[in-house]
Amino acid sequence: MTAGTVIIGMGNPLLSDDGVGIAVAHAVAECLRHRMDLTVTELHTGGIRLMEAMAGFKRAVVVDAMLSGAAPGTVRRFDPKDFVTTKNTFSSHDTDFATAYDLGRMAGVPLPEQVSFWGIEAREFDCFGERFTTEVAAALPGAVHRIVAEIKEWEAAA
Amino acid sequence: MTTRITIDPITRLEGHGRIDIFLNDQGAVENACFQIPELRGFEQFCVGRMAEEMPVITNRICGVCPEAHHIAASKALDGVFGAEPTPAAKKLRELLYMTFFVTDHTTHFYALGGPDFIVGPDAPPSERNILGVARKVGLEVAGDVIACRKRNHEIITFLGGKSIHPVAGVPGGWSRAITTEERTQIEDAARKNIEFARFSLALFEKIVLKNPAYLEMVTSDTYLHRTYSMGTVDAYNRTNFYDGLIRVVDPEGKEFVKYHPSEYREHIAERVESWTYLKYPYLKKVGWKGLTDGMESGIYTATPLSRLNVSEGLATPLANAEYQRMYETFGCKKITDARYEPIHHRMATHWARLIELLYAAERMLELALDPEITSPETRNIPDPARFAGEGIGSVEAPRGTLTHHYVTDERGVLTKVNMIVGTTNNYAPISMSIKRAAEKLITSAAPEEAVLNRIEMAFRLYDPCFSCATHFLPGKMPLTVSLRDSQGGLLREMRRKA
Repeated sequence: MTAGTVIIGMGNPLLSDDGVGIAVAHAVAECLRHRMDLTVTELHTGGIRLMEAMAGFKRAVVVDAMLSGAAPGTVRRFDPKDFVTTKNTFSSHDTDFATAYDLGRMAGVPLPEQVSFWGIEAREFDCFGERFTTEVAAALPGAVHRIVAEIKEWEAAA
Repeated sequence: MTTRITIDPITRLEGHGRIDIFLNDQGAVENACFQIPELRGFEQFCVGRMAEEMPVITNRICGVCPEAHHIAASKALDGVFGAEPTPAAKKLRELLYMTFFVTDHTTHFYALGGPDFIVGPDAPPSERNILGVARKVGLEVAGDVIACRKRNHEIITFLGGKSIHPVAGVPGGWSRAITTEERTQIEDAARKNIEFARFSLALFEKIVLKNPAYLEMVTSDTYLHRTYSMGTVDAYNRTNFYDGLIRVVDPEGKEFVKYHPSEYREHIAERVESWTYLKYPYLKKVGWKGLTDGMESGIYTATPLSRLNVSEGLATPLANAEYQRMYETFGCKKITDARYEPIHHRMATHWARLIELLYAAERMLELALDPEITSPETRNIPDPARFAGEGIGSVEAPRGTLTHHYVTDERGVLTKVNMIVGTTNNYAPISMSIKRAAEKLITSAAPEEAVLNRIEMAFRLYDPCFSCATHFLPGKMPLTVSLRDSQGGLLREMRRKA
């Protein structure tokens, strides 16, 4: 049985824009704190860890930096079915999310019925720093707003 | 109709997942190098901060081995503050570390190293993964791997004070004692880990050692390099992952040097070659002779296999029996009462990793059964009179010896930070294995995917850790192999997209 919603912020908060997913996840939770039970998880690496982090929840939202070549600050939403990988959703030490998800299914892990992925295009991601670049910082409120709206919709439909 | 959107995180990361193979004028392989991504600005980021922040900063450098950085950083702080941890604290740190080793080595074998052996080196990339392993071995193995990770992650969470990024390491010890109920849970998990490690070794025997083709892959000279071996040893010269002296044996197995981790600068130097930006560490007192092996070349290896090569047997009984079996399978002669001639066949690193998995599980049980493990005396509060302002902490990370070195001013504010991470030690051997694979494959008519995978297998056995976004999945890593002439001109390029 699965229950509740988890929002998973991925990335490294010490690597400039790589930490944007974590900041968005916390901001989303702050907005929704008063109306629903929302679990926030920070994850540094994906693959099997990411699958494990959503085990037991009915719904999961994953927020991560992405490096797709789009303009820095671009926000995109992905369904698992048309999703390959954002910056941290695979693990260099085990596997990508899709394989990990199938592995979890195979092993009988209770996995969410609804999963969405959000990517925010990063500009600086391999230099240590605790600040976002201007474009990424500017994209943060919009990303939070869109994710909050999605979670509210899920809740209304349930 | 759904449009499939591919987001390739590698496209913008130039130089990542790139292998350059340089040919000489006769068309033979001269050099090979693997471009490893590096994060910038770490020292700058740390200098000016309070030293005691380091265990929680460094454990975020890498998502794969935060525990290794946390423990090495805690040990470096013991030095900075002149605070010797209590016996219980050392045991708690080692206990956390053994729990981590079990999950890390398990995951590597089933998700990364194993697929080449269990599914086959020439199987299509879509099958050469952990799902392919489960389909071949039995679906229940998927559940066993997940259950192994789960029970050990739970322990890491309460022992380390936080999931994934531990926070319990402090100068002079550990911030948290464990209860008797927690101890019972750890004991139970350790017993299950031992059984799972034995199962994994039995699987390796059944599928690899009993299959002549795979046994040939392990024992052939394709990836054979007679380098020096490095590892941390206890007072009896046996492998220890948490603490001890660094022991180096020469290619024939004779002890070359044994030193305290704080003396690393006297023994290790770094070589910069004009054709790559990588710095290759080597043994200073032997010297750099290029990417070549043998007694005269200072290249050393720091891996599960090299750790067993320097060890006088293993300190736990089941792992020691497996250790002996591996060396006897290779026909190695005993050179001391407990130790054998070194194995230089790099594919045996996968086997050594499983033996270490069993050792870590057995050591975890020993520590769980130690009466002192539930002691509330987990910390010595630093005495300002003993403040040293400099500390070096070292552990064996799953992928090689890891060293943290901090210097502070009199207030404990960092003025200098240096780290040698596990993978760095192996830059030269990794390049040599890639070069060797290339030599065998360059003139072969093998299809491109097969060539790319054989080259990948060469570096995957070292379990290198890339601290940021490089794919490293069997058959899935976007990989570009470029053959270049002696002037650097491109002769041929083989490319695999994600």
